[in-house]
Amino acid sequence: MSADGTGPILAAEAITKQFGGLTAVNDVSFAIPRGAIVSLIGPNGAGKTTFFNILTGLYKPTLGRVRFEGKDITAVRPDKIMALGIARTFQNIRLFGTMTALENVMVGQHARMKAGLFGSILRPPRVRREEQRVRDKAAEALEYVGLRSALHEQLATNLSYGDQRRVEIARALASDPKLLLLDEPTAGMNPQESEDLTRFMERLRDELGLSILLIEHDMKVVMGVSEHVTVLDHGEKISEGDAQTVRTDPLVVEAYLGKQEAERQRQGGVV
Amino acid sequence: MEAARIPAARSPLAVLRNALGQYGLILALLVLPVAYGIDDLRTDGDLSRLANNLVDGLSNGAIWALVAIGYTLVYGIIELINFAHGEVFMIGSFASASLFATIGLGAVTGTAGLVFGLVAVLLLAMVVSGTLNVMIERVAYRPLRGSPKLAPLITAVGMSFILQNVGLLWRGGSPEGIVDLIESQNALFTVAGVVVTNGDLLAVVVTIPLVLLMTAFITRSRLGKAMRATAQDPDAARLMGINVDTTISLTFLIGGMLAGAAGLIYALYQTTIWYFQGFTAGLIAFTAAVMGGIGNVRGAVLGGFIIGFIQQISDNRIGGEWTPAIVFAYLVLIMTFKPSGLLGEETREAG
Amino acid sequence: MSTAVGVEERAQARSRRFGRPDQLPIAARRLLAAALIVGGLVLPFFFDAGGGFIDDATLALAYVVMALGLNIIVGFAGLLDLGYVAFFAIGAYTIGWFGSFFFSGITENGIHVLVTGIAAEAPGIHLNFLIIVVIAVLFCTIAGMAIGLPTLRLRGDYIAIVTLAFGEIIGRIAINGDQIALGFLGGEQTLTAGRQGITPVDKVDLPLLAPFTSLELRPWYWLAFALVLLVLFVNLRLRDSRLGRAWIALREDEVAAASMGVPLVKTKLMAYGTGAAFGGISGAFLGSYLNTVNADQFQFSFSIFLLAMIILGGLGSIWGVVLGAIALSFINNRLIPDVLNDVPSALGLDFDLTQLSFGIFGFLLLIMMVLRPEGLIPERRRQMELRDESIETDEAVYEARMS
Repeated sequence: MSADGTGPILAAEAITKQFGGLTAVNDVSFAIPRGAIVSLIGPNGAGKTTFFNILTGLYKPTLGRVRFEGKDITAVRPDKIMALGIARTFQNIRLFGTMTALENVMVGQHARMKAGLFGSILRPPRVRREEQRVRDKAAEALEYVGLRSALHEQLATNLSYGDQRRVEIARALASDPKLLLLDEPTAGMNPQESEDLTRFMERLRDELGLSILLIEHDMKVVMGVSEHVTVLDHGEKISEGDAQTVRTDPLVVEAYLGKQEAERQRQGGVV
Repeated sequence: MEAARIPAARSPLAVLRNALGQYGLILALLVLPVAYGIDDLRTDGDLSRLANNLVDGLSNGAIWALVAIGYTLVYGIIELINFAHGEVFMIGSFASASLFATIGLGAVTGTAGLVFGLVAVLLLAMVVSGTLNVMIERVAYRPLRGSPKLAPLITAVGMSFILQNVGLLWRGGSPEGIVDLIESQNALFTVAGVVVTNGDLLAVVVTIPLVLLMTAFITRSRLGKAMRATAQDPDAARLMGINVDTTISLTFLIGGMLAGAAGLIYALYQTTIWYFQGFTAGLIAFTAAVMGGIGNVRGAVLGGFIIGFIQQISDNRIGGEWTPAIVFAYLVLIMTFKPSGLLGEETREAG
Repeated sequence: MSTAVGVEERAQARSRRFGRPDQLPIAARRLLAAALIVGGLVLPFFFDAGGGFIDDATLALAYVVMALGLNIIVGFAGLLDLGYVAFFAIGAYTIGWFGSFFFSGITENGIHVLVTGIAAEAPGIHLNFLIIVVIAVLFCTIAGMAIGLPTLRLRGDYIAIVTLAFGEIIGRIAINGDQIALGFLGGEQTLTAGRQGITPVDKVDLPLLAPFTSLELRPWYWLAFALVLLVLFVNLRLRDSRLGRAWIALREDEVAAASMGVPLVKTKLMAYGTGAAFGGISGAFLGSYLNTVNADQFQFSFSIFLLAMIILGGLGSIWGVVLGAIALSFINNRLIPDVLNDVPSALGLDFDLTQLSFGIFGFLLLIMMVLRPEGLIPERRRQMELRDESIETDEAVYEARMS
């Protein structure tokens, strides 16, 4: 394990998560190479989001550990994990509804700010400058994701679905993350929009040097963009490799389509 | 530290915390009885004083249990702390006291007349409180269904104040002594120094059948099943053809009726009623409900008896003026360290 | 319809338009604020110096301070606190202890710090009002955090009950405190004076000014007015700051807030501590102004009185809360006892309307929540957002709070 920039940026080692008697994630190991876009896929209820929540500190794994740039971040608080450089979006968009788009993105920079209670009240020049810097950066992030500047001061709840997705990504980007975790970002998008998002993720990787972990249950989305795909089903890792390998893995086909259907397809030769 | 399978958190501290979470509540509950038990053994040589506390505590606890069931049923079904529930109980007491006069029950009424009259009063008080509780739900909670969760809690507090004022206007602002129909403090019998009074008997005789009846209703009847289904998942229940509104009203009706019964017992047992009695009683009963595990009817009964016992020890040994503080301290401790209570089922689905 | 995220969009001319149509331009706002301040300052000259109006107004301002404090906890951070009266009590007892004869039993010659007049001679502890305010702030901040600590992992309705229980415990200690002997201080010394009340309490004595008296109420009014300005300033500054945004984020969605780098524990405790501090300031002021620190002042109904103010005005809305506090204060202290008290008898009914005041506030809570939950002057964020239900039931919240 190294922090010198050669090892994987994130490595999850033998993660198990149990809720009461239920095992949501079972012994899953997983690594994200630096500067890569990798995907975690699986049918609904496969444990993807649980795994995601473990990476971001919302859950503590029952067993196993998570390393980020060589540092053990297992059971580190979510806000500290964010401060270390892992930012995320949510499957069901979780913006702060009564804040404006700009304010939402400013909250994303909370960990990068210093103003405390008295600084906030007295507002010395240092705090004013910080506030201005954060505001500018938020506007910049919003423009980067393509939110019209006329909408920056709109309350998040009043934005269209697509715009809310953008704001959520901007909010994550504004914290200058090294690793971006996207939880089903194409949910509710049409094929053209999904395609655009795919291009955007590549842009993020190439322009900002981000590593990206993508969760999807729609296999088509991930195939075009990810270098590496891991498949979960019933909390277990059933397959991993490049898109092609995974796509033809009978276990994966079965997990997605059910045994019978898989059988039929194999005979028909259609995937 | 490179081993792949490492428990994430098994430090001694975590183990301790786990153990405390598991048994801490029981330990905390044992503190008072054990301490005073030892004290009694030293000074009196026996445990009769503690046993007397226990008997009085159980009859008090019966009242709290009846009120606590109302909290727990309502919380179980719509996840709302029905803050006005204590006032429903108070109105039950007031209605009972008024009905004594209306029906003509007095200190001179014969036993047969008394039993018959009291049964009538019990039924009427239950109807009054039950109806009131249903109305509260209609006026204060139903319009807010689907609002943020704290909104109905605020209206509940508002409702509680309104009802306190109703009580204040009804029977005045100071505690009022009422006729002691059953000679509540008269010893019925004494066993090994433990005195069982008429009041104790009444509390148990009324409470146990009511609780049994109610439990049977919830587990057996069609409406009871609808209640449980609604508590689990209102949307699914609705899809299954259950009338959710009716079911919720029914829950409030049952809760209110039990509070009404508790109100009567309280009036007979304490022979003093007050418009403010519902506030403290409500919080005590709520503590009982949380202690047993909110949403759990058996837990509420158990919690009621335990709190009654603790309250009695405190009244008897420490001083009644401190009892609310002690009960509230337990409330804080339970909610902080074991919000699922003694018999709590995890209400949330994991994952 | 939305277009896709990746589409290049030309940044349009950056019209820094105002998000709220109702918002005035900065110059107009400043003018309005100046007019309000000047109006507030000269107001007492139109009324009798010892009269009822100034008395009511002073009380109203003291309530504004507390309501704004509660608003930080409930309105900003979304933590329903039903035991705020505890901070009123702690603030009031601070002046009761350190600005009265109360400790005369153990300090025969008295302890005097920067006080003049009778207070400088009398037995008991007598500290300058400003020192007392600082101590009250300190006590309340600590108490606020201590009360907040157990609630950190709890869901909204449980927070409400735990804070209520704390408020009641403090109230009980206040009432029964006359039985608690402070043995370590020697002598006959109790913790509080219970329902007897600690009285008299030192009048406010500020540097460069003559000590306040109970005959000339204007200085009290101006002091309360200054406290309101101070608290308003703090509130306004905090609302549009890193901390204010974090509070609102927390109120809206704890999981998202934590995932965006907002530390839950610290941020919540800051809300509790800051909100409590205002209760302490106002409590110390009221102790001196009312000339008594009596356990009967610190009842649950007072917490609800304050809550009704912020619900009436608009949760989270600073100006709404100011309006709500002034309105309810006048309703409680003037309208009900003096103006409307004849109504029942005129209607042929036999009761005292003042007895009903809390029923009236209860009714107000109910009506507001059902008909206009956003309050009279809604926060610009419009909706009342005491956190959303779907988030409450999120398992992640509980695990996140554990850490």
